[in-house]
Amino acid sequence: MNHCLVLFFQFCKFSVLCFGGGYMLIPLLTAEYVDREQVLTMGEFGNLCSVAQVTPGPVGLNTATYVGYVNEGFFGALAASLGLIVPTILIGCSAAAGINRWKETFLVKGMLKGTRLAAVALIMFAVTIFLGMSVFTQTIPWESLGALFRFERPVLPEGFQLSPAGILICGVTIVLMLKTKLPTTALLLGAAAAGAVLSAWF
Amino acid sequence: MGDRGMEIRTLSRTRRILLLYCSFFRITALVVGGGLAMLPVIEEIFVVKYKLLTREELLDMTALTQTVPGIIAINSAVYIGMKVGGVPGALAAAAGAVTPPFTVILIIASLFPRLDPKNRYLLGVFAGIRAAVTGMILVTGCRMFRRTVKSPLEIAVVLIFFVLAIMKVSPALLILAAVPFGWCYVWWQTRRLARAEQQAADGAKPAEKAVEPAAGPHENGGDAK
Repeated sequence: MNHCLVLFFQFCKFSVLCFGGGYMLIPLLTAEYVDREQVLTMGEFGNLCSVAQVTPGPVGLNTATYVGYVNEGFFGALAASLGLIVPTILIGCSAAAGINRWKETFLVKGMLKGTRLAAVALIMFAVTIFLGMSVFTQTIPWESLGALFRFERPVLPEGFQLSPAGILICGVTIVLMLKTKLPTTALLLGAAAAGAVLSAWF
Repeated sequence: MGDRGMEIRTLSRTRRILLLYCSFFRITALVVGGGLAMLPVIEEIFVVKYKLLTREELLDMTALTQTVPGIIAINSAVYIGMKVGGVPGALAAAAGAVTPPFTVILIIASLFPRLDPKNRYLLGVFAGIRAAVTGMILVTGCRMFRRTVKSPLEIAVVLIFFVLAIMKVSPALLILAAVPFGWCYVWWQTRRLARAEQQAADGAKPAEKAVEPAAGPHENGGDAK
């Protein structure tokens, strides 16, 4: 029960900090559950995001339910989902009428500007997390890449390689997203099928 | 169609709340990808079919759901619910939006441990989806970058935040630090703008002078991170 309460408040925190949509949850969740509490490995987290992305429903909500379930079972899932929506309801019911009036004030404008810049940076950070699970075979080793700044040759950990299938699917997805209006579902199903076929080769 | 809209506008409160719950249940049950992908469906149901919202109200709401914190899907549900049925409406819409993904994910999560973790095709499927998701987040991020970042200074700020995130500074802390920074930044910008206008009014004076002393507050804000 206590753990569920902790989950609830953690997700309240994520909800309040989540400027710029569901993808913002990725850095927040990995920092909490992969790096700090270590209840999930990076690979598990990647699979979880994949499931959240392919199933219908908002990505953020799917991820919350899943993380809650992995942590504490059914009630954990309930606590996490509620944690994600309760702050939204509170903010929504109190501020829905007012925020348009305050939109031009210094406080709201400054907050939006700052949080948006941070959100862009954190979404880019989420990309690097995902690169380590798709285009590369392992998490990007930033510590060894630091050697580049000292003009040395970075010592890459064993097993850190490019994944040809990952590069191919990622590249094709980007091109299709920019050049066509294919729905997300089609892209994801195509990627899943391509992944299965390519796994037979690589 | 118009008659039907009028008929529903005069619906009792209970019926409206029921309608909100069912509509959002349907939306999150059918729409893959969340957030902004829901928008066309919301328009179809609430603007075209039931005429409970105007197109302008929907547009205002879209801007609003992206400025307040929280995931966009739930934000939309709460604001539409609020508009159509007050606080009970907001609660009903949020509950409707949560129910389907919650159920579906619970079923999948309970089945997940039974899948064979060594099946190479299954692993391939997941690897494929992860690669596609990487591309999607990258495209979303770049679009956000183009919309948000307007000057070299802002590019530098985004870069600093990015490097701090890589150095394992907690993302929560970064977002919180971004708020006072934003205040300093906007304050500095408005002051610079006001000075520039003043100078334009005063006549031809060198413009650099206005920029230099004003750079102070911004740098303080940056260091505070």
